[in-house]
Amino acid sequence: MLDRASAYRIGLVSVVGLGVGGVAALAAIAFVDAVLWLNEALLVSAYARAQYDAHPRLLNAATVLVPALGGLVVGLIVRRWVRERRGLGPPDAILIAQTRQPPPTLKSGLASTTAALVSLGTGSSVGQYGPLVYLGTIIGAAVGPLERHVADLRAIAVACGVASAIATAFNAPIAGLVFAHEVILRHYSLRAFAPVAVAAATGHVVANVVFERPALFRVAFEGVRFGHEFLLFALLGVLCAGLAAGFMALILLAGRAAPRTRVPPWLRPAAAGLVLGLVALELPEVLGIGKETLRFATIEGAFTMPELAVLVTAKLTLTALCVGFGFVGGVFSPALLIGILFGALFGMGVAEALPAAQSGVVPYAICGMMAVTSPVIGAPLTTILIVFELTRNYDLTIAAMVAVVFSNLVAYRLFGRSLFDVQLRGRSFDLSLGRDKAILGLRRVSDFRSGDFIALGADERVETLVRRLKTSGRAEALVTDRDGRYRGLVRLQDVLDEPGTTRLADLARADGVTFDERTTLWEAMTQLRDFIGEAAPLIGSDGRLLGVVPEGAVIGGYMEAVHDLRREENAGA
Amino acid sequence: MRGLEALVVALCLLAGAAAADERATLTVVTWGGAYEAAQRAAIFAPFEAKTGVELEIVRWDGGVAPLRAHLAAEDPPRWDVVDMLRSDARAACREGLLAPFDAAILAPAPDGTPARDDFHDGAIADCFVSQLVFATVIAYDDRAFPGDKPQTVADFFDLERFPGKRALREAPVGLFDWALRAYGVPRSQIYELLSTERGFRLAFRRLDQIRDDLVWWRDGATPARLLAEGRVAMASGYNGRFFHARIARGAPISVIWDSALLAENVWAMPAGVEDRDLAERFIRFATAAEQLGAVANRISYGPTRASAMRRVGLHVEAGIPMRPHLPTAPRHLERALRKDYGWYAATEDLRRRRFEAWRSNGVAGR
Repeated sequence: MLDRASAYRIGLVSVVGLGVGGVAALAAIAFVDAVLWLNEALLVSAYARAQYDAHPRLLNAATVLVPALGGLVVGLIVRRWVRERRGLGPPDAILIAQTRQPPPTLKSGLASTTAALVSLGTGSSVGQYGPLVYLGTIIGAAVGPLERHVADLRAIAVACGVASAIATAFNAPIAGLVFAHEVILRHYSLRAFAPVAVAAATGHVVANVVFERPALFRVAFEGVRFGHEFLLFALLGVLCAGLAAGFMALILLAGRAAPRTRVPPWLRPAAAGLVLGLVALELPEVLGIGKETLRFATIEGAFTMPELAVLVTAKLTLTALCVGFGFVGGVFSPALLIGILFGALFGMGVAEALPAAQSGVVPYAICGMMAVTSPVIGAPLTTILIVFELTRNYDLTIAAMVAVVFSNLVAYRLFGRSLFDVQLRGRSFDLSLGRDKAILGLRRVSDFRSGDFIALGADERVETLVRRLKTSGRAEALVTDRDGRYRGLVRLQDVLDEPGTTRLADLARADGVTFDERTTLWEAMTQLRDFIGEAAPLIGSDGRLLGVVPEGAVIGGYMEAVHDLRREENAGA
Repeated sequence: MRGLEALVVALCLLAGAAAADERATLTVVTWGGAYEAAQRAAIFAPFEAKTGVELEIVRWDGGVAPLRAHLAAEDPPRWDVVDMLRSDARAACREGLLAPFDAAILAPAPDGTPARDDFHDGAIADCFVSQLVFATVIAYDDRAFPGDKPQTVADFFDLERFPGKRALREAPVGLFDWALRAYGVPRSQIYELLSTERGFRLAFRRLDQIRDDLVWWRDGATPARLLAEGRVAMASGYNGRFFHARIARGAPISVIWDSALLAENVWAMPAGVEDRDLAERFIRFATAAEQLGAVANRISYGPTRASAMRRVGLHVEAGIPMRPHLPTAPRHLERALRKDYGWYAATEDLRRRRFEAWRSNGVAGR
């Protein structure tokens, strides 16, 4: 039977799915169209450039100046209005959905989105799906306060926003639904699944019925002709894993190298934009998202092998530069482009080696595209579905599946689950062993501090200790020196054979388990394995004793956190 | 019907007035051939009969350059009204070669619907009004391919399966679009790719495959004749001309509707037109539902206003239904390639330069 509370809950989450989904879909379309408009107006797109072919000087000036000035604007927006001093993206969305930490402010979020719009509009080599994910997150987080009516609503609403934004922008509702679960929520409870599906479907309706958007990347392909080609797809997957790991490592490296250049943070995007513009004078393909290049990569003979190799290298390096030096944007679109070019290169190599036994460049290009992208975003299932929904071609999806799976396996070993997860680990939110560890890794044991313990000075004698323990009915006491610094712990059994005049300083043992202010619940749980006693001392960074953390409190906190996670993951409708 | 009656009365009065002084004349520039014949029967003759104005018909092959040259000439012959391609008209309008167009002169539909609501969206522009939709299509001589018939634009470039001469218009229009379509590029992305160096290179590579078998045509009547005489196996051309050749002369010509390039013809007036009132009166008459419908019942071009479309029925001589032969028939629209006027207008130089470089040295050129 449906009781009133469940009916209310189902009604509320459905409305959230519909409302957040609808608003996020409209916002996503507005964002994508604004980027296109800027690309036309600022002579970034090939389509606009061809129309100014008679003015080569104007074109060259625009090529160099537009990304550089765009970078300057981005740098100033981030410095002035984004409190975090960096672009917000999928890692922040994950954090908002996974934890109860306060999200970045709305002002930061909107400023970051504007900076992303300028980055993409002026042709910097970054992706648009990262900002779109965060745009969906802003809209979802806005209904977060309703959480007091339904548990975990904030996470669900964020997932709804993300699913709808992706569903609309890619015109891929199934991929949007799976992405929100695979990357943002990391579980598949029915309570979350239903509203997120509603949001993704709403995005689909807005994109298809209201705005009549076509499928993003239709590719004609008649099927894989030879069985042995699946082995080649797997091999391509492995190679792509290496490329993806290199790509991600380079992005992180650029991020670390940027502060060492002595260029002030607000000027860094402009510097990267200038470099990008200068390269684009020779290689216009590196500008922007590269829709034309994606298409050319699927056409036999559009590129020579050296051209492909140069473009892969250039796009990889410049994207790392743009992201590392503070342009605001994602890595998904550049990964698609790098992957498809590399896949085409591999396909051409195969064509030379086995001229009569391959199905053309198309399946290799598509496999490469997805096999590089998948480990970067850490979402194999989403990527496979994206191929299906973007190309609407079943044969290509199966081929891409093989490459994607092998790529993910290898890249996981080489680098980690995804760029987002590795970035989050840098911010001490480690999802590599699952949500349990990450959530437990955020909670500090100092929250469980208790003042209920016996502390004695190092100069006091055993007789005092015995008397105090007797009256309180305890078996251990903590020893501190005159400044309150922790010296060790004395247990009743240690003093049984000692004369009453022995100083406690001679007996205190400091080799037991201690916690400090930064010890997380996860670390505490692993240390408790070696723990004997009642409570572990909590010691400040200056060595002073702050209190104790009772074993029971640690276990209780652990149980509570795990229970919350299990309840969220198994919540019904 | 009141609108139409009023129009007739007005035109009769005007005719009387015109007849009073010496016989007024108006020069109309248009394309010749079966198209002009249809216009003569549906528009020119009735106009002369109703107004008494003598129409002088000048033939041309379209383009912006001839109009530019005409306006720059010392003592040009008179041009009052010009039938031109929409893409050319757009470029000419930007250059200031056309007189501004006042939409208020257009006749409402016979049922009183204002012209603005009756015409297709975007048909009325600053310097012109769009009057019909035509398609540039590929047609083949049925006798040349007794077995498999060509079906797609890719077959046009496939000399192995479909050998024989090819005829293309000697202008940088349409051939690049088709060459890229032959690679399987989706319709929506053709002009994005043609905006790049690489896109042109690919297009010319495809054109190189048929280079030695190419015959160039200029005049719109030529391709149907080349096919009918068996001098080429496939040719590009205007769908109405091919239709006419088959219906009126029984030529064995079949049309491939795949990637048909849709475009529009417009009526416009050159800048500084001599007798603006009379020119506007002609355009009002020529774009009325009755006249546009009458043109479509003679040659298979789709009218741009709904009230005219409702008047399309059987061909006046052959008696076959005209609707399935219009480029705007739903099953043709599905496979059609919508020409991007904005892109065409802005890339005239670019296209011409590359086209000429390719023709003279066989390189994609810059």
